[in-house]
Amino acid sequence: MSLDRAKPLLLPLALMLAFELWARLTQLQSDSLAPPSAILAALATALADLSIPIATRDTLFAAFAGLAIGSAIGLSLGIAFGISHPLDRLMEVTVEAIRPIPSIALLPIALIALGFGYRMEIVIVAFACVWPMLIMTRSAVRSIEPRLMEVSRALRLSATQRIAKIVIPAALPRIFVAFRLSAGIALIVAVTVEIAINPIGLGAGIMLAQQALRADLMLAYLLWIGVIGYALNILLIAAQRRLFGRAALAGDNP
Amino acid sequence: MRRTQIRAMLAGLTLGVGISVAVTAPALAQAKIQIGCTATSDCASAMVAVDEGLFKKHGLDVEMTPIAINSNIPAAILSNSIQVGGPTSTVFLQAVDGGLDLVAIAGASVMNPTSNTAIAAFVRNGITIKEPKDFIGKKVGAPGLNAFLHVLFVKWLVEKGVDPKSVNFVEVTFPTMADIIKSGGVDAVLTAEPFVTRMSNAGLGSVGARYGAELARTDPIIFYAASRDWAEKNAATVKRFREAIAEAAAIVNGDREKASASIAKFTKQPLELVKATPPNQSEPNLKPENLTWWIGVMSSQKMLQSKLDTAKLVLN
Repeated sequence: MSLDRAKPLLLPLALMLAFELWARLTQLQSDSLAPPSAILAALATALADLSIPIATRDTLFAAFAGLAIGSAIGLSLGIAFGISHPLDRLMEVTVEAIRPIPSIALLPIALIALGFGYRMEIVIVAFACVWPMLIMTRSAVRSIEPRLMEVSRALRLSATQRIAKIVIPAALPRIFVAFRLSAGIALIVAVTVEIAINPIGLGAGIMLAQQALRADLMLAYLLWIGVIGYALNILLIAAQRRLFGRAALAGDNP
Repeated sequence: MRRTQIRAMLAGLTLGVGISVAVTAPALAQAKIQIGCTATSDCASAMVAVDEGLFKKHGLDVEMTPIAINSNIPAAILSNSIQVGGPTSTVFLQAVDGGLDLVAIAGASVMNPTSNTAIAAFVRNGITIKEPKDFIGKKVGAPGLNAFLHVLFVKWLVEKGVDPKSVNFVEVTFPTMADIIKSGGVDAVLTAEPFVTRMSNAGLGSVGARYGAELARTDPIIFYAASRDWAEKNAATVKRFREAIAEAAAIVNGDREKASASIAKFTKQPLELVKATPPNQSEPNLKPENLTWWIGVMSSQKMLQSKLDTAKLVLN
């Protein structure tokens, strides 16, 4: 690896080294902080005894399932609202009344209705993912070149053909940006649900480690969540480049 | 963009939704009994009963579920995520007062001289508390507002003639207490062992009041509760549950080694830390009159709206 590529790593590494030194010199005694060496050791142990891999599976499964359901709902509503102005006006109050509800505020109801486990988490993640998808899809569909729609009319495409052949391909690059946004939200909401209530996954791991006074393990979970979020973002950006390389460009310069 | 790629993406999305819907279909009927408890030693009897195979001996298939916040337990019971939970007396009574149909089925832990001495108001350096009224105007961190330690402390203040409204209460969770006391974020915390010893040893302050010992109560801290519906339909199971818990309670109170090992296993706390603190006294028998004191205290603190009938709160 060249020096240029290593440069961005220098600052975090130096900070961690400074923290390690400070922790050792002051003989840090805390239930919420731990030196980096202890965190890395705890991370290695938790990876080896499979507690982190299992928790990761639970969190990612709930996040992705919620993301898929929420995106599908957001996408279909967004396309419908984007195409039909009357429908959009009709639903405006309803959507704007439900959208500001923080997904986490649904937890008490979700717990009584659905109980612990994937179901509750998926429902809450899906709820959070609907809105960015809906709003960005709607605006993406609205901003489709009017001439394209004229063409579709001239060709006498049916409504489904119009959506499949014109609307979705034209709006897809922007829809994918919404999907990327939603993916970030999905991970945040999934972990939050686990921290607050659900006894599975990475969030619950953080809580249990905290209550067991294992600050090192708690921070190891935190570090791991950061790694997952980072990896997820890289994956999605790569997917976006691969799928929409030229299309994304075309969207920017019509 | 190529059409095949769009198709593949849409197919992927559909598949994803399909799989999730399939997985999220209604859960299977549960034969296993899930017991939900917070990571404290109060449910030690259930932990020991699982570890020592006492539930199995009585023909019960039991699993323990860790629950982060005690006040979530009533909702978890009602959603049937757990069949039995270990709420604190205050959480249980408030839930029933709020209309949730819960019933206590067996005792878990009770206050006794040892556990009462373990409870303390720990005061940071630079603050001196000589008498109860020194708490006036101070910022006091409680692990949960209207939860066990907070209610006890308020009761103690009232008994000592101090108006609880003159004390500024905030929420501070156990694991963050040491750091918040150190930084001076609060003047005192309501805490218990092993935190008192850890903070004393670290030189963060001193014990300002042993309000638990001064109240000297013997009322229940945590007990096992279930929904009335479940408890009445599974009367035989409840009976066997009680027998197993009674046997386990004897081990908790008599065999520190075994009890500590089980507690460490469930709470994931380091074994040395668990061994350093005696577990709260296990008392498997719970009678309706055991809840009278709590109802009185909570009513006087305006935490209950209705008049609760103790006879209905505990399953015969």
